[in-house]
Amino acid sequence: MAILVVNGISKSFGGLQVLNQASLEVAEGTITGLVGPNGSGKTTLLHTIFGLIKPDAGTVSFRNQLITGLKPHQIYEVGLAFSFQLPRLFFQLTVLDNLLLAARNHIGTSFASALFLRRRWRRQETELAQKAMQILELLGLVHLALHPAGELSGGQRKLLEIGRALMADPVMILLDEPAAGVNPVLGRRIYQKLYTLREQGLSFLIIEHKLDILLDFADYIYMMDAGRVVLSGTPKEVIENPVFYATYVGETQNAAFRS
Amino acid sequence: MDLMIYVLDTLVFMGIFALLSLSLNVEYGFTGLGNFGKVAFFMAGAYTYAITSSFGWPFYLCLILAGLVASVLGALVSLPALRLREDYLAIVTLSFGEILRIFVKAEQWLAGGVWGIAVPSAFANMDFTPRMQTWASVVLVWVILIAVFVFLYLLMNSPYGRVLRGIREDDVAVQVLGKSYVLYKVQALMVGSAIAGVAGGLFAQYIRFIDPYMFLPLVTFTVWVMLILGGPANPWGAVVGAVIVEFFNRGSRILKDHLALPFDPHNVQYALFGLLIIFLLLYRPHGLFREKPLKTGAEAEVAKWQSSS
Repeated sequence: MAILVVNGISKSFGGLQVLNQASLEVAEGTITGLVGPNGSGKTTLLHTIFGLIKPDAGTVSFRNQLITGLKPHQIYEVGLAFSFQLPRLFFQLTVLDNLLLAARNHIGTSFASALFLRRRWRRQETELAQKAMQILELLGLVHLALHPAGELSGGQRKLLEIGRALMADPVMILLDEPAAGVNPVLGRRIYQKLYTLREQGLSFLIIEHKLDILLDFADYIYMMDAGRVVLSGTPKEVIENPVFYATYVGETQNAAFRS
Repeated sequence: MDLMIYVLDTLVFMGIFALLSLSLNVEYGFTGLGNFGKVAFFMAGAYTYAITSSFGWPFYLCLILAGLVASVLGALVSLPALRLREDYLAIVTLSFGEILRIFVKAEQWLAGGVWGIAVPSAFANMDFTPRMQTWASVVLVWVILIAVFVFLYLLMNSPYGRVLRGIREDDVAVQVLGKSYVLYKVQALMVGSAIAGVAGGLFAQYIRFIDPYMFLPLVTFTVWVMLILGGPANPWGAVVGAVIVEFFNRGSRILKDHLALPFDPHNVQYALFGLLIIFLLLYRPHGLFREKPLKTGAEAEVAKWQSSS
């Protein structure tokens, strides 16, 4: 069953058509990879799904509910989470606060309950803090929990950006290059975590250039080129397709991924 | 001149400006909204207090109304402005202050236009001597200041305050994490404007007569200097900044009587203000007090976790 259906999305910026009738589906409980050359429209497509960009045409539906035209916070409400390619952290807030801000259904985030339901949100804060610390443990950032996010290195910022999406307790996560700028071992560890979440029923749509990792973990791959989805299939099918090499990998079929 | 009255007068003004500085701190310090029309909400509060108290209503009711009217105006101003980029919020709020002042200057049916409006003392029927009335004003202003301080401290050290701080850093990221930043920005402007309105009410009550010339943009910029000096996003900074600038203001006014200068000594304080800001931004860009991390109880969990692993 498809959890996310993207149907015929087109988007132009001025005269530049970035997306041209792009369509794809993500089956429930899978890791679906999105690959393609730079400038092929992957990130724009992800932003469109999450309501950060309004499409010129086409629809997005999530669990059979049309979500095109909704604002990002409404899309978050239906159960999606999003992680930026370039981290957009709250640099003056602590690493812990960056995670806690992502928490879902937090009572104390509304004006009245922040003042009048103190006991309730303080209890919830404690529980959420433990969840946040588990995520930081996974990302190896426990010792930095109370440091401002601005003090993190580039790779650590990327990890925290992914951590926020995990903190949001979503049904499905859109990730833009989670393994970019992260050392290979940690990159794999992140994917292993995503894989265990997948086994718990979460779905993923992931843009990734690190094919050696992606092809090990993905259930299904879409390849984009010039704003269209040009190729799709299981990792095995994709690496056997010459188009994959001609437009994206650039090496012969016998290289890296055959083994 | 009665020195004690002068000291009490200074205390009243310090308290009123500390309230304004705290209110700007909600908007700019925590939420990142550059409100350059602070004086408009101060003025709205002052005039609301003046008009309602002329009906003979009790002072606390008039103060609450002053806060409410200013807060509604804050919401109205924010609605068009929040759809624009942040620098436009500054332009919209700045011009709103000018429009309100010029409107009051031009009308006569509501608030006396250029002739201003007299305000009865809150303690008029309590059989107080003038000095006791001044004392009562000091107590009133500082009690309200302490209450607002505690209120804001609690609000900013809550998940709500965390969202506001997040909006200051990156409002799109906040939206992606499921919080509508528009709602929070409107609320922040409403809270900030309400506090400024109450400060205006206290000002009108104390000074007993208000006219449009008291509400020039200079008031706004004085409040900004206070907040930048004290340190944005720190409640102590807002108060200490207000106290220092007010002290400085008075000091330079007294000093000019004792200095023989080849130019109008009135300008000394503005020149010193300018120097103060330049040195501050050069050597202490965060202000005197830095922002403190949130205290919500979550940070205590970290210590447990870090010591166990």
